Amino acid sequence: MMWLSGGFVFRRGDSPYHRLDPRVKLLISALMFVSTLLVRSFYELLAVIAVMVAVAAVATVLKRVGRTMVLTATFSAFIFVINIVFTRNLESSVLYAVRFVAIVVSTSLFFITTSPDELEQVMKTFRLPRDVVFAFVTAVRFIPVMMLDTIQIMDAQKSRGLELEKGNIFRRVRNMIPVLIPLVVNSVVRSGELAEAMESRAYGAVPRPTSLVQYKSSVTDKVVALAALALFIAGAYSFYYILPVQLP
Amino acid sequence: MADMLEIDRLSFRYPEAPREAVSGFDLRIPQGEIVVLAGPSGCGKSTLLRTVNGLIPHMYSGDYAGDVRVGGASVKGSDMRDLSQKVGFLFQNPENQIFMFTVERDVAFGLENIGVPRDEMRERVDEALRLLGISDLAQRAPHELSDGQKQRVALAGVLAMKPSLVILDEPTSLLDPMTAGDLVALVAKLRKDLGTTFVVVEHRLDLLVKVADRLVVMSEGKKVLEGTPRDILFGDDAERYGVATPAVTQLQKMLARRGLATTGTLLTPGELAAELKGRNR
Repeated sequence: MMWLSGGFVFRRGDSPYHRLDPRVKLLISALMFVSTLLVRSFYELLAVIAVMVAVAAVATVLKRVGRTMVLTATFSAFIFVINIVFTRNLESSVLYAVRFVAIVVSTSLFFITTSPDELEQVMKTFRLPRDVVFAFVTAVRFIPVMMLDTIQIMDAQKSRGLELEKGNIFRRVRNMIPVLIPLVVNSVVRSGELAEAMESRAYGAVPRPTSLVQYKSSVTDKVVALAALALFIAGAYSFYYILPVQLP
Repeated sequence: MADMLEIDRLSFRYPEAPREAVSGFDLRIPQGEIVVLAGPSGCGKSTLLRTVNGLIPHMYSGDYAGDVRVGGASVKGSDMRDLSQKVGFLFQNPENQIFMFTVERDVAFGLENIGVPRDEMRERVDEALRLLGISDLAQRAPHELSDGQKQRVALAGVLAMKPSLVILDEPTSLLDPMTAGDLVALVAKLRKDLGTTFVVVEHRLDLLVKVADRLVVMSEGKKVLEGTPRDILFGDDAERYGVATPAVTQLQKMLARRGLATTGTLLTPGELAAELKGRNR
């Protein structure tokens, strides 16, 4: 699972891409995602991937994206093998396998360049209820805390003789119970304390709370968004009407 | 002028609980005092504090009798929106009262909830950060902070609401002695600069006795002792109620038993050292 977290966890960066309005970044990733689904040939897919690499370069995350690609490729190998066995069609098998890599990269590009704060902003633009947004915020906020909790509980239980790495799969799952119970109890206690602190700081006091920060789309954001849309439309148009490339 | 905090014949029993968590409690705290509340675990301190900031009865219900007034207004009759701006509550574990991804957004949390306009909010957040000396942490994420820093962030969030009364629930229990000392100094400074009233629950009295005006000891839901730290710590009853007296008072009691009596009412190691030195001359 580490490759997944590595490919999707935000790390602070200071590239022009990081500074874009999160909604624009979401748009770009969504367009890339849709493009990978629209392409009909391997060459078209390569063009889309080239765009992704260009975006990653601007965002100075080429290395991380590269690693994600390589790690995803091991999964793609499965997809390729299964496809080739059942369809005996080399072109479509390659297309499916590479498409999977492209899909992962398009989503990962959004998540590694968008801070949780910006994600919250995106959720607010979609007018999700405040409680839902806040639940998401606290959930993400407490991920590192819960991870630390888990490590501490595992260490504590190991020091009392719990053997997490021994036995068959059923045994191992059963051995996780002494870790899970304290973790759940901890979390329940924690959520009670959170509720008290929220209440003490007037959560839900007014129907329309204000916000300290305001994200405004700059001219750059708008230009980038329009350019991305234009590129997408031009690309889709040329794939379908001008260059109907078919592999032999 | 009315006292900052007035508690009259307060009793509270949680639903299904066999006995009252707080019973027949009276307390008056004038504005600008620092009052330390001590007593063994389960003596009703936490319940008492929650009746002051309104979590009881607004969040937890139960049998409530008597009255609590903050700045003259009844807690029972005020809503959490008003109370959150009068009474600040710093809970024991700073981790569980930081909600947002960046320090400044978290400090703004309460202000956002009561709908403070953005410009004013910006000012109040910056001021709170400055007051606690953490302006440089404004953009950090909570998991990048030390326990002492988290404590300060949580306190900044409380102070941004400009409360006139601040409750600190065992504020030094997770801190190392140095950081704990800093926190106590900060409390004294805030009282001096802003006239804030403090109610502090604390077991480590050695740090707090220097700044505290009064010590209140609870046992089984009742107030059993009240007085200046000096009177209580050098009285005979403190240990009976499980109050951990500072080492320096114990030493003086020991010296007194051996016939090496000092004035016998010194609260800090510094004072004692100075007196012992003076005698040797």
